[in-house]
Amino acid sequence: MRFTDPRPGKALATFVALGVAAGFQLRCAPPPAATESVVETIQRRGALKVGVSTFEPWAMRDRNGELVGFEVDVATKLAADMGVGIEFVPTSWDGIIPALLAGKFDVIIGGMSIRPQRNLTINFTIPYAHSGMGIAANRELAADLAWPEGYDRETVTFTCRRGATSCNDVDRLFPTATVRRFDDDLQALQEVLNGNAHAVLSSYPKPVEWAGRDPELLFLPTTDNLSQGDEAFGLRKGDPDALNFFSNWIRVNTTNGWLVERYDYWFKTTNWIDRVRPGSTPSQ
Amino acid sequence: MTPGSRRARLGWVDAVVLAAAGAAILYLAYRVDSVLEYRWDWSAIPNFLYRWDEETGRWVPNLLMQGFFTTIRLAVLSMIPAALFGAVFGVLRTAGRLFPRLLSRTYVELIRNIPPLVFIFIFYFFISSQIMPVLGVEDFVRRASPATLRSLELVFGPAALIPNVISGVVCLAMFQGAYMTEIVRAGIQSIPKTQTEAGLSIGLSRWELWRRVILPQALRRVIPPLAGQFITLVKDSSILSLISIQELTFLAMETAVSTTRVFEVWITVAGLYFGLCYLLSLAFARLEKSTAMART
Repeated sequence: MRFTDPRPGKALATFVALGVAAGFQLRCAPPPAATESVVETIQRRGALKVGVSTFEPWAMRDRNGELVGFEVDVATKLAADMGVGIEFVPTSWDGIIPALLAGKFDVIIGGMSIRPQRNLTINFTIPYAHSGMGIAANRELAADLAWPEGYDRETVTFTCRRGATSCNDVDRLFPTATVRRFDDDLQALQEVLNGNAHAVLSSYPKPVEWAGRDPELLFLPTTDNLSQGDEAFGLRKGDPDALNFFSNWIRVNTTNGWLVERYDYWFKTTNWIDRVRPGSTPSQ
Repeated sequence: MTPGSRRARLGWVDAVVLAAAGAAILYLAYRVDSVLEYRWDWSAIPNFLYRWDEETGRWVPNLLMQGFFTTIRLAVLSMIPAALFGAVFGVLRTAGRLFPRLLSRTYVELIRNIPPLVFIFIFYFFISSQIMPVLGVEDFVRRASPATLRSLELVFGPAALIPNVISGVVCLAMFQGAYMTEIVRAGIQSIPKTQTEAGLSIGLSRWELWRRVILPQALRRVIPPLAGQFITLVKDSSILSLISIQELTFLAMETAVSTTRVFEVWITVAGLYFGLCYLLSLAFARLEKSTAMART
């Protein structure tokens, strides 16, 4: 009898419906706090929180464990221009977009290139850097291969960093070749050094630096850009004010030459190597 | 002379085994060196453990040791709620009523049947990220007075990382609690039913029965497996690097990328983890011995 009594069921159904409705309402009508632009949040907090991922030469640790790099310069100046402090949130590359969406920081300044798939999830500002993709190949395995047509064979193995533009470039430029994806560039490089793969794709200046360090093992089939990246700040969707502010900050600092000057320092010179890796030989 | 008190002596068999093991290690090192094209350079590592701070004129922990201390903090801090979850849900698992059993069984099965890595990712982004802003930990830390901040830093480490450490602790405690629940349940259920019957028959109340008969015996039985679980907890804390908790594994990755000394960094980190866990093993072995002694 207890089980056929309709009332508990009805109460439960009402409860569930109310819960769903409440949840739905929360979802549809964001609370006032969410409508505030992240620019205002930053000013109220007095600090800009930036998600970065360690990646040479965008963001690295110097010998004191402090973050340095192109990205770090950009974010530091951005915060100074806003009149607030800067807080870096080091984040693993795989989780950087979820962490932005979950509100762990205000903006990704992490050398992230604009891609339509990513853009479906987050907003991008205008680009603040254009990195180039390069290639370093194993001297023994790849010396006889003609560039670039000889590399597009099933027997040729490429390595790249998972989730980065380099892996997309391999798929696009060498569709028949075999690809092996690694967690970071150094593992991808190690595989080529060990002779288990023919070539590694990575953004400049790394291929040049690697070939300079191990000239007897590596060579550069080309020094052209295999692709050109459009790196931009990543923001949560639905915040036109922040998008406008950050994009215009980039525009101003592109026009006055500051971004180019910093980019050239980190990407075209190796003067910084001694800050990060004392004792290692700078490459040309 | 009891069997346990015999002192180990090094016989010729042991010498042969040791020599064979040494040879195997040397051969492995030789093989690794011939397959791996790698120039070893350990010079950067000590600086990343401790560095000389020119401003204060003292040795201060650098990335790897900072991470190591965070790992220890995470382990100790999450042990407390994990043990609490384990104790409460473990007792509920053995309850007579259906609802508590359903509740604790759901908790255990949900977590035990999802890989830790997947669980932590989901839990962190969908649940912990909702709870943390509600608790207002970040605002609290930002507004805290210097005195409060000092005591907070003593427990949780550097102020900027407090919300980060707390999320890590919550994630770790949630999933370790499920395994502890099962250990506690097994401990309670290993006490024969006759003990309950005997207790009740001499007129003990339910509460007294638990406090005086069942729990003391069950606790003694669960100490060894709980100790094992605690060591697992220390090792599993490395999974938190996925959600960017600034512990040893995460900072090791950062160090490896920055210095480009991948293998040197990871071998150092392996040594640190081993040292910590081995010390814990020794401590727990001692604890086990003393509780065994207390029983007799």
